[in-house]
Amino acid sequence: MLSIALVTAMAGCVTAQAPVARPPAAGSAKQQLPDAPGKETFQKICGSCHSAQIVLGRGMTREQWSELVSGMISRGAKGTQSQFAEVVDYLATNLPPKEGAAPAAGKALGGFTMGPDDKQIVDSAAAARGKALYSAQCVTCHGPLARGSDNGPDLVRSVTVLHDRYGSTIGPFLHQGHPAPGGTAGTSLTDEQIKDLSHFLHQQVDDTLRSGPYSKVLNVLTGDPKAGEAYFMGAGGCNACHSPTGDLAGVAAKYDPPTLQQRFLFPRTGGFNRGNATPPKPVTVTVTVAGGPAVSGVLDQIDDFNVSLRDASGEYRSWKRTPAVKVEKNDPYAAHAELLDKYTDKDIHDMVAYLETLK
Amino acid sequence: MRLLRTFLGFSLAATAVFGQFLNPAKLQQPATDTWPTYNGDYSGRRFSTLSKINSSNIDSLSLAWVYRIGAGAGTLGGAIKSTPLLVGGILYFTIPDHVWAVDARTGREVWQYEWKSKGGIHLGNRGVGIYEGWLYFETPDCHLVSLNLKDGKERWSKQVCDMDQYYYASVAPIVIKNHVLVGVSGDDLDIPGYLESRDPETGDLQWRWYTVPQKKGDPGSETWPNVDAMKHGGGMTWVPSTYDPELNLIYVGTGNPQPVIAGKARNGSDLFTESIVALDADTGKMVWYFQCSPHDTHDWDAVQTPVLFDGEIDGKPRKLLAQASRNGKFFVLDRTNGKNIVSSEFVKTNWAKGVDSRGQPIPNPAKEPQIDGALVSPNQGGAVNWPPPSFSPQTGLFYVNATRAFSEYYIFDTGDKPEGWGGNDRGGWGESMLQALDYKTGKICWSHKWEGSGIRSGVLSTAGNLVFAGDPSNNLVALNAKTGEPLWHANLGEAVSNGPMTYELDGAQYLVVGAGDTLYGFAMLSK
Repeated sequence: MLSIALVTAMAGCVTAQAPVARPPAAGSAKQQLPDAPGKETFQKICGSCHSAQIVLGRGMTREQWSELVSGMISRGAKGTQSQFAEVVDYLATNLPPKEGAAPAAGKALGGFTMGPDDKQIVDSAAAARGKALYSAQCVTCHGPLARGSDNGPDLVRSVTVLHDRYGSTIGPFLHQGHPAPGGTAGTSLTDEQIKDLSHFLHQQVDDTLRSGPYSKVLNVLTGDPKAGEAYFMGAGGCNACHSPTGDLAGVAAKYDPPTLQQRFLFPRTGGFNRGNATPPKPVTVTVTVAGGPAVSGVLDQIDDFNVSLRDASGEYRSWKRTPAVKVEKNDPYAAHAELLDKYTDKDIHDMVAYLETLK
Repeated sequence: MRLLRTFLGFSLAATAVFGQFLNPAKLQQPATDTWPTYNGDYSGRRFSTLSKINSSNIDSLSLAWVYRIGAGAGTLGGAIKSTPLLVGGILYFTIPDHVWAVDARTGREVWQYEWKSKGGIHLGNRGVGIYEGWLYFETPDCHLVSLNLKDGKERWSKQVCDMDQYYYASVAPIVIKNHVLVGVSGDDLDIPGYLESRDPETGDLQWRWYTVPQKKGDPGSETWPNVDAMKHGGGMTWVPSTYDPELNLIYVGTGNPQPVIAGKARNGSDLFTESIVALDADTGKMVWYFQCSPHDTHDWDAVQTPVLFDGEIDGKPRKLLAQASRNGKFFVLDRTNGKNIVSSEFVKTNWAKGVDSRGQPIPNPAKEPQIDGALVSPNQGGAVNWPPPSFSPQTGLFYVNATRAFSEYYIFDTGDKPEGWGGNDRGGWGESMLQALDYKTGKICWSHKWEGSGIRSGVLSTAGNLVFAGDPSNNLVALNAKTGEPLWHANLGEAVSNGPMTYELDGAQYLVVGAGDTLYGFAMLSK
């Protein structure tokens, strides 16, 4: 339900606009953003909704940052593909996983600025000890992910757990004499054991938050490659522009299946996250002032009132739009957009199965 | 009926003068020298009777002042999403944790207030509510704060939600008689949404209405598989409600069910999530509901302003309510009883199989998120998000700044009991347009397609035959309300980020809009 309007920048892509440096915000900087290439782009793209605190203190792999940025695009982050790639580069380079931390530890720091500032910071070693204890004593009633069973309540949704900090509420609760059929009575747990359990339970809560380990596309290879090939060569009309032995030769070696799927559906935004990805083709535009020569170039910006481009020599030109000014736009991906109204989900999965054969 | 008192005058010495008594019923009629509640009046129409700025002279509109929160805001470019309130010649607006009072004639800062935050999501704040000499706003860390309108000094604060459960607050409180309506936000964990009424003097709780049933046998509980699912079923109340003083009904749109995307453990229609609900203003008891997205799995909150107006259907006068919903559907209801009159769509969508006997959409199960992906339109951002629409009684048209977008929806968590989100959508393509809808038929009367896509601006219509909206290229645009022809624009360098508002002071009509970290005051200053 997060707010945010929308979507992908169609026009004005590619030409890197000079990022506007914002003055440092007074009183906000508990920690500073690392000064490194991409910082200004991060501020420009992410800063309209988020404070710097949203990433500071986190550490994630390139893939995790890519997933996160991809999720933000679907929630309405606005920018060009190259700007998003720059943001991912900046975050992956400057905020890598924390030294010695388990893969999930970055998220355990709390992810975004959701929740209270004083939320528990999960110690992954303690959580691992807590997990062993949980598996021995608690799992039968509360389930493997602490999400409850017929015999015991959901602990991820437990207000006692959510209010807990390092055992502060689950300790007293267990010490009151928590029933433990087949397990150790709560009263006999040591303070250290309770703290370990607390870390484990908070880890389950963190994993349930949106940045958890579940944020991953699982398997898109459910289609029929033969049917996909038929669609490619037939109804989809893909072969009008593409060839499995030409531009798409070896495409499956370049992209994993989920990225392949996203890229043919949404070539301008899908799969920006691979460092070696081919940058998307720009929208071009031809402007003709009545009686004058046609000027063509890469579209910079267009609205109801003005149009601007950068021509082949790199020169920037702009015009006021009037009836005397003819503007012709050419989006090389227009055919992809038209297909969105035509694909069935089966067509899509057949297509990705086919593309996956192009190793 | 208790009277709502507001400040009228504000003398040169900056001392408030108690002036006019404002009957709440008057909040249904657009005021000219005040904008006393989020939508300007209780109806949510965002229509102004002012016409000094009109389609004939719009070219003479000039910039009167600029107020930049910028570096003083304590955040990195927090955008102004709130619609300023205007009382006594002063504008009051917010970003998360911050309130400003600014002179409506000059843009000069009168005072600023900062709340010391203890956390919560700082994505946006929609503004303040005002009652007599007091101001109310909500904070990301779950507090309702009351300030003295005169100097911004804090009177009291009350906790209204639990941050440990990942609630936060972003909505603008609405003051109705002696009730301050308080909504809540948060969909990271599976928690129930609610709307509260609090005492404007003390902040004490008067009533709380849960959007989802809290026990077996409660209304709507038959639409959930079990008590655990319904008690944690979501339905946040993060956009301001509207109100009909004659019927004494509050109209609230409710948010998405929880878990958000992976809905297998909440089979059923999941009432009263993603619904338009009418509540008795004094008791908080539900009178009727209409569900916009039964069993939604796409994060399509139905919180968009339920806009109230009186119209004519089949030659008979009717009390109506209209909503352009995030799922792309346009609904017109009889606001006395919730009976459906029109169900149409304001952008083309691909997720519903039709409507049921009550006019509610029937979701297509094939377009629920899938492990290998489902191509769905609209995308998660929706055909419209929180930015407010407008209805002009002059043209009879409902205006909404809309987006037609596609994305691929995936299930990530394949377990028996997904929690939180359990999936998401990825990528996308979209196009944006300003739509003008005929409320009698739900048909699009005119559509102005913007170049590019991605809009976050609300809409204002006026008796000057104008509609104001932001485009995807950072322009504030004025269009002919009857035809949709763009007449005037100003490029503000950042996208319009709130709902534009207007007022008249000293004979001059002003138009105020927020774009990013800056509030712009335009005015027709010529005689």
